Amino acid sequence: MTRPKAVTPHTTVIIGAGFAGLGTAIRLLQSGIEDFVILERGSRVGGTWRDNTYPGAACDIPSLLYSYSFALNPEWSRGYSGSAEILGYIDHMVERFGLLRFIRFHTTVTAATFDAAAGVWNVETEDGTAYRGRTAVMAAGPLANASLPDIRGIDTFTGVKIHSARWDHSYDFAGKRVAVVGTGASAVQIIPELAGVAAQLTVYQRTPGWVIPRTDYRTPWWTKQLYRRMPTAQRAAREGLFWVHETMALGMVWSTPLTRVIEQIAGAHLRRQVRDPWLRRQLTPDFRAGCKRMLVSNDYYPALQRPNSKLVTWPIATISPDGIRTSDGIERQFDAIVFATGFDITKTGTPFPITGLDGRLLADEWRHGAQAYKSVNVSGYPNLFFTFGPNSGPGHNSALVYMESQIEYIVRATKTIVDRELLMLDVRGHVQHQYNVRMQERLKHTTWNSGCRSWYLTDDGFNGAMYPGFATQYARQMGELRLADYVVTARSGKRSDDTEHVVELPRRRLPAVRTLERTRNARVPHR
Amino acid sequence: MALDLDAMLVKISERQWALADIDWEAPGAEQISAEQWPGLKAFMADLVWIENVGARGFAAMARMAPTETLADIYRYFHAEEQRHANAELALMKRWGMLDGDDLPEPNVNIRMAIEWLDRYADDMPLSVLGTVIPMLEVALDGALLKFLLDEVHDPVCHQVFEKINADESRHLAVDFQVLEMLGNARLRRLLIESVGKTLTPGLLIGALMYIPLLNRMRNNIVGMGLQEERLYAAMHRFKNVGERSSGTRRVPTYQVLKWHADMVVNRRHPYHLLANSMVWASDRVPARIFGPIPTWFKELTSEPVAVETLPAAVAS
Ligand SMILES: Cc1cc2nc3c(=O)[nH]c(=O)nc-3n(C[C@H](O)[C@H](O)[C@H](O)COP(=O)(O)OP(=O)(O)OC[C@H]3O[C@@H](n4cnc5c(N)ncnc54)[C@H](O)[C@@H]3O)c2cc1C
Ligand SMILES: [Fe+2]
Ligand SMILES: [Fe+2]
Repeated sequence: MTRPKAVTPHTTVIIGAGFAGLGTAIRLLQSGIEDFVILERGSRVGGTWRDNTYPGAACDIPSLLYSYSFALNPEWSRGYSGSAEILGYIDHMVERFGLLRFIRFHTTVTAATFDAAAGVWNVETEDGTAYRGRTAVMAAGPLANASLPDIRGIDTFTGVKIHSARWDHSYDFAGKRVAVVGTGASAVQIIPELAGVAAQLTVYQRTPGWVIPRTDYRTPWWTKQLYRRMPTAQRAAREGLFWVHETMALGMVWSTPLTRVIEQIAGAHLRRQVRDPWLRRQLTPDFRAGCKRMLVSNDYYPALQRPNSKLVTWPIATISPDGIRTSDGIERQFDAIVFATGFDITKTGTPFPITGLDGRLLADEWRHGAQAYKSVNVSGYPNLFFTFGPNSGPGHNSALVYMESQIEYIVRATKTIVDRELLMLDVRGHVQHQYNVRMQERLKHTTWNSGCRSWYLTDDGFNGAMYPGFATQYARQMGELRLADYVVTARSGKRSDDTEHVVELPRRRLPAVRTLERTRNARVPHR
Repeated sequence: MALDLDAMLVKISERQWALADIDWEAPGAEQISAEQWPGLKAFMADLVWIENVGARGFAAMARMAPTETLADIYRYFHAEEQRHANAELALMKRWGMLDGDDLPEPNVNIRMAIEWLDRYADDMPLSVLGTVIPMLEVALDGALLKFLLDEVHDPVCHQVFEKINADESRHLAVDFQVLEMLGNARLRRLLIESVGKTLTPGLLIGALMYIPLLNRMRNNIVGMGLQEERLYAAMHRFKNVGERSSGTRRVPTYQVLKWHADMVVNRRHPYHLLANSMVWASDRVPARIFGPIPTWFKELTSEPVAVETLPAAVAS
């Protein structure tokens, strides 16, 4: 281990240059904090949207909502934009806000350790360089790691293996016999694309999901024109979409009559698009809508029914050198297998060792499921913030809406640490505990905990992923930084619980939200 | 002793086999004598379809399983029964019993079973299928397959049925464990379930379909030279295993089936008059009353490697 350089620490070390890390950077800049660094293991920004470039990759929340309110984009070409356009939006933000100079690419974080005496996080990286920050932001992404699934015989396959999140653009699928393993959010986007190209497409399904129709459209020129000239119009449209999705929570977060309505819409979609009763049965989910991520597609079912497509629902017994053998005893042979099998998610650990006060290891504490306070802080790990942390996932709304709330909270806390010369801002253990008791209690009544198996749950059925409520509720909880919930230690050594003195937080407003268009003229803070 | 279903699921996933594991061209096919051939052909055709009917039963059970583990097990069993049917078809092909690539015609009673399964099985309570399936499996495993191995000396046939029997022993273990669990479920719930849910038109029709199906099978195999006692011994086994467990005895459907089995094994019971006249009647059911054959029925194949994904040169 190399000794951290004895330079003055940054105010913030941000880990990850995806939507979360970059959004945090923008808001830090706008609140006057310019002394931070972003560590990114890849060679470019974008995270999810840099990695997921498979054919058909797109967001399934409307772009107007799947974007930052502080960086509105009037140029979205469609209702639901493709990955290239989303990546372009991210690049555009990086350029407009001059973020490149803060980013250290090819820098993989391997450990983060809190130095209590200095009130500093030491962030170690693969090449031995260490970075120091008075605060640290874990923005490494919940779905950033993908590897081939652990299916028997997978190494024996002699054809081409492609993971949806590591697409091989040099491979030509034309005329090939192709298998797609998995029928989740990525698969339903890939399948219609490949079905049109491959000679034969075979889809391996374990559990079918609910598919609702998608109302995609090309943005008419005049709308773009309007949004360019009147960001308020775009803001209003975004607001409208936001409330549409908030309403969906009534059916997707909790099991209510609206859940039945959603199931009926999905059921009607299935009946309209699939005539054969047995295929319909194979495609009918046996869990409540909302329990797993909803799938959104108009062309998935038709793609499965093309003459050159086949849906296989037998369990996979093994992968063989030539193809896939299922438990019905039959082998199907392929030139390529596409694995749309999801991501390696650490529900019960951390992607690298995170060491807090008195040497405690976060992975130990999260062994039975991740827990945090308001999804951003963990007791015993002062000055450390999480984006997309425990119980912050939306089932019905844009992840970026939630992320914005987290970012505002993180920026406000960081400002507090800087302005008040704090050594440590550490959430109180019992506050975190109470918060989680309430969280798990509320989760009991949600669709996610209604009995289906999903990546939201640990093997023990603990839900450390999803937020049981409306985005509005989440935003309200994040809108307030209650210092009373924290042990606040000043650099002078004064502790809030020694003195029972609670630091009042001035309700400072962050600079007004800006659109990309406006910031083009606004002076982006340099240096 | 309770069976550890999680361990069973692991075991099942590790014991998978494929048609490609077997050399279907190996010598020994000539062991089938000319006089054996027609009876064996009819018997194998029935067997294939019964496996397929069992498969559909497990598919329904996977939907109603109370735990994820059991649902996973039933998903495997669904596929495994299909695998048995596929392997038996491959044997038929080896013995020259298939006309080209055509599947054998299912008899009327099978067609009725298919119709019933397609219409009602998904809505049956687990206690119904959970009792009927073990009964069929015991009959298959205990009587039919053992008989087949005594009569047929083709080593490939023995190789195939060794694998099938290994699967079936796991099916039976789970079947009886589930029967036991059903019995231990709170009595009140069971009663409500059996009175309220069981006595549906679906079940009555199911019984009407099941009776001639069983008797036709019995008649077919007796025609092939199987001593009826063999089948009856199997039925007794169903009873005996069940009797050993207090839970199982408490399942109302089990009691009904046991009572039924008692009648089946009593050759002089007037039941056979009824059952055989039902076979007779079902032979006179016009084919057009059946709906189109469900597509799951056509998933059967005797080809170890699916033709649809063979390279064009090989497939043509
Ligand atoms: C195919 C797909 C479609 C999606 N569609 C939607 C949608 O429509 N709506 C929605 O709300 N959400 C969607 N999501 C969820 C999506 O993950 C989030 O919306 C969002 O992109 C997450 O951003 P992030 O910055 O938190 O993580 P990421 O985008 O994953 O960024 C994390 C970054 O951290 C870097 N990193 C990770 N570990 C280290 C390390 N040790 N050292 C240094 N750097 C590291 C990674 O390289 C990456 O660049 C989708 C996800 C996927 C995969
Ligand atoms: Fe079988
Ligand atoms: Fe069986």
